[in-house]
Amino acid sequence: MEGSDTYLIRPNHQHKFKPAVVKECIREIVRERLSGMRYDPEEVPELSRSLADCIKDKVKNAGFDRYKLVVQVVIGEQRGQGVKVSSRCLWDADTDNYAEDVFMNLVLRCGGFRKLLLLRTTGWMIFFR
Amino acid sequence: MTGMEEYQNGSEGAFNSEETDGIVKECIENVVAGDDYSQGQVNKWTASIVERCLTQLVKQGKPYKYIVTCAVMQKTGAGLHTANSCYWDTAMDGSCTVRWENRTMYCVVSVFAVAIA
Repeated sequence: MEGSDTYLIRPNHQHKFKPAVVKECIREIVRERLSGMRYDPEEVPELSRSLADCIKDKVKNAGFDRYKLVVQVVIGEQRGQGVKVSSRCLWDADTDNYAEDVFMNLVLRCGGFRKLLLLRTTGWMIFFR
Repeated sequence: MTGMEEYQNGSEGAFNSEETDGIVKECIENVVAGDDYSQGQVNKWTASIVERCLTQLVKQGKPYKYIVTCAVMQKTGAGLHTANSCYWDTAMDGSCTVRWENRTMYCVVSVFAVAIA
């Protein structure tokens, strides 16, 4: 049975991508790292990179065999501006999927000044033979 | 099977991020053109940009699956950052991110190309 793995053209149920599991991975890491954090342009580049790496590593070890993984983190400062993110994929809808989490942070500072942090994290999983 | 091997060995089959860069820029310019940021149009713009990019990529007939994302943000002095982390075959798979802006908005498009086999 193990030898025949090479010829699998579909993931078996146990190893098939489960969006809810991945969404929970993202949510957990994002809440842990970003709660109470305010937008700081000096820190955000490093923060966004390390978040993406951290989520990739966690999902990689979640047991979805034969999946390639793409994680994207978008962090923006909220100053009342409009923002819209869209995505489209060309893939096998039967095996491939994605999970997404949106996080918004409101931080009250002295004098009531506030800075909001808006973050959208998406993980895409692509099955390969 | 032979076809796949030819694709993998020939450079025209591999993901070309420079070529993709050009495709993406053209799609953004065709959709947004000289318009200013508009709340009423932004949903249509982002959808239209990702769909056009995907259509152009598919036309190349390469053995890839694609993920295309587009973020449009109105300019108010606020910062925007994106970061990617991928677990894939670095020899075959690739990505490309294009930053575009005009007087009133930023547009950031990312393309991820993942080899089928």
